[in-house]
Amino acid sequence: MNLYRQSIALFGIVLPALACAALVGLCFVLKSNALESFDNKLLLFKASAMNSTAAHEIEAKNVVQRPHLEHWVALLAEEPSSAVNTHLRAIAELLPGKEIQKTAFERTNSKGGIGTATAQPSSQLRIVFRGTFRTMQRAFLELESRMPQLQLQELRIDPNPNSQNPSPLLNFQVNYTAWEN
Amino acid sequence: MLRHTTRASNPAWYQSALDLDLQLHIRVDGPSVSTFFFKHSKAQWSKGPAITEADLKDPAKMETCAADILKQARSFKAPALGVILHLADEFATAELKPSLDNPAALPDLRDAAVQKPTSILEDSSIQPDQNSWRVLPYPAQGSGVIGTTITLTRQYAPFLAALRQTGENHNFPIVTHALSAPLVAVMGLAHCAPFAAEKSAVAILQYPWFTTLAFFNEHADLLLIRTLQHRHLTHAPNLRHALTTTNASLELIDPDLFILTLGQDLAPGLHADLSSGFPVSRVIVVTPPTPDDIPAWCPEPVIAATPPPKGETPRSLTFGILRGEKWALQDFLPTPKDVVEIYPTRSEMQLLRGLRLARLCLFAAVVLILAWFALGIFEVIRRDEWAFDPNQAEVVKTRLAKLTAEGKKSEHWDNLLADRSKAWTSMELLCRLFPEHAGFLVKTFVHTVRPDAAPGQAKVGFVKEWKISGLARDEAVDRLNSLNTQEGISARFNEVARVTGNPAFNPLLGNRSLAVNVRTQENSSFKPLPAEETFDTDETSYPFNFDLTITQRFEATDPMAINVTKAP
Repeated sequence: MNLYRQSIALFGIVLPALACAALVGLCFVLKSNALESFDNKLLLFKASAMNSTAAHEIEAKNVVQRPHLEHWVALLAEEPSSAVNTHLRAIAELLPGKEIQKTAFERTNSKGGIGTATAQPSSQLRIVFRGTFRTMQRAFLELESRMPQLQLQELRIDPNPNSQNPSPLLNFQVNYTAWEN
Repeated sequence: MLRHTTRASNPAWYQSALDLDLQLHIRVDGPSVSTFFFKHSKAQWSKGPAITEADLKDPAKMETCAADILKQARSFKAPALGVILHLADEFATAELKPSLDNPAALPDLRDAAVQKPTSILEDSSIQPDQNSWRVLPYPAQGSGVIGTTITLTRQYAPFLAALRQTGENHNFPIVTHALSAPLVAVMGLAHCAPFAAEKSAVAILQYPWFTTLAFFNEHADLLLIRTLQHRHLTHAPNLRHALTTTNASLELIDPDLFILTLGQDLAPGLHADLSSGFPVSRVIVVTPPTPDDIPAWCPEPVIAATPPPKGETPRSLTFGILRGEKWALQDFLPTPKDVVEIYPTRSEMQLLRGLRLARLCLFAAVVLILAWFALGIFEVIRRDEWAFDPNQAEVVKTRLAKLTAEGKKSEHWDNLLADRSKAWTSMELLCRLFPEHAGFLVKTFVHTVRPDAAPGQAKVGFVKEWKISGLARDEAVDRLNSLNTQEGISARFNEVARVTGNPAFNPLLGNRSLAVNVRTQENSSFKPLPAEETFDTDETSYPFNFDLTITQRFEATDPMAINVTKAP
């Protein structure tokens, strides 16, 4: 006699319950997606915050170092041998001409000395001078200050070998490793 | 369904008309229609609406009549109305099939009389759509048959349907019930007829259009019921003959005769007639007790509506089952099954109502859950991190990478361009080792730098070596010996580091070591001369030759160690 019991149960509770379950499930999925998205954003946010902090710290260091780096890059952009010659000419004009004489200059493109230990490109410069001790020291000071990419590889100082004609001028032979960019 | 009807909240929709508090009893006996309201809770009878036979039979008037009844019922402020139609204008019997003569089958026969009367009736020409049958058992021993069926026409079914429909239309339960008035009157004999012990009896129910005879055995159990139609007369013309022959067939000897006059203005004289016709029998006119508002000839509404006091022992089995099992209260014109099935049952309505509550709880729970979800999402989206643009992270990351690369490049060049090996500082070292006029004549100076390669490391150390040879006088020997000690050479390096500002000469920094070796031997060309005759460049004035070798080793962990990689 209960003709409508199944229909009542179906439309009265089963379908609404299914609809509610579907709605709750949909909302659950949406919330899960939102939380998942939020977690991703949170990770990105934290990573970005850390990156930003790190960037600020590095930026603070770089700001101090940047002028030097720009200067170095400009120096390294020059061709070493011509730069050395240019600077030596300029330095020679500042010093007594008789106390410094460049007698030889040689450039080798291959690596040598400490340049062989690193992957950084470098070339070898060999320069021979004749000059007084102090004037040559001043010349080296000036040259090495102007061209910090020059790393001394070898320095030989010998007196004038001609004992019949003693001279205050000494023979200087320097080998440099010139870093290149 | 819940919104449009009160079926869920008002149980009257599913109760019997005789169980409702407000009842309208309509008695139809042919010449007249009597109506009475009965307020069950107050046991109060009152006059009902004026209804004519035309109101009951004319479809055009039924709706008006039903509306009027509804209006009056509402004036009682009752939640429902039970309409009990007492049919006293017709009464007929139809015999059961002899093959069904089994008392145990009476409940099944009762159902079959309602559902499928053709299956139990002897007469195969009956028309179920025009008549209604109900089984009446004969509980008396020796009656010969287990019972009979009472037959009534369906002429008042439209009226009752109109009443029910009016109730439906106005959302007011009107429950109908059609009773056979003679059966109710027979049931009422239990309280008004003076049955004598060990004496059979015949109840003569005199209605305007027929007379019903109910035969009881000496235990007051029903043996037989039959009817005599008046056929437009005021009484049954063959009553005496029928009594005589039936008494004989039932072997009743001088039964008591109870006369019930159940009609207004019926012809008197039946008592005298029977008294003369049956001089040995006790002839008694029985008048059922009725309230003031109910005429004595109209007792059926009172009998039907007033149950006997609780705990009262029925006079006989017949009277017990007529009321207890409601054989006398059977509904001859019930609501058709197809109409009943339109609406849910009471249990279904209760289920519907319960499920509505469950749905409300479910929806409330869902709303709470959704609110919880919404709150959770709101908590999330109002945070700064939610509004964060992922592209911004990429921008910051790119900027950091750029700055890091710049920093590494800066560090790289800072490392490579460090003052680890300069000619002018080495010359300064030479000056500090061998000051002027200290008794030294330096002949050669060789300074070399070579890497101290160790594969697989990020940095490589290097070795700086100074080889100095020359001549020394006696006063310089002490200085040579001093230089040949760790403290002595370290002091000179420290001095050079201080005056030149070149950290490569600082022996205390980083991870570096300093070694020195001085080899001194006599000068074979030495010629001793007075001091005033010697000059600095005269090699024969120096008694000693010396060779000084200084080795400074920078380990790979020293800050000045050389980067292996190329600039980024």
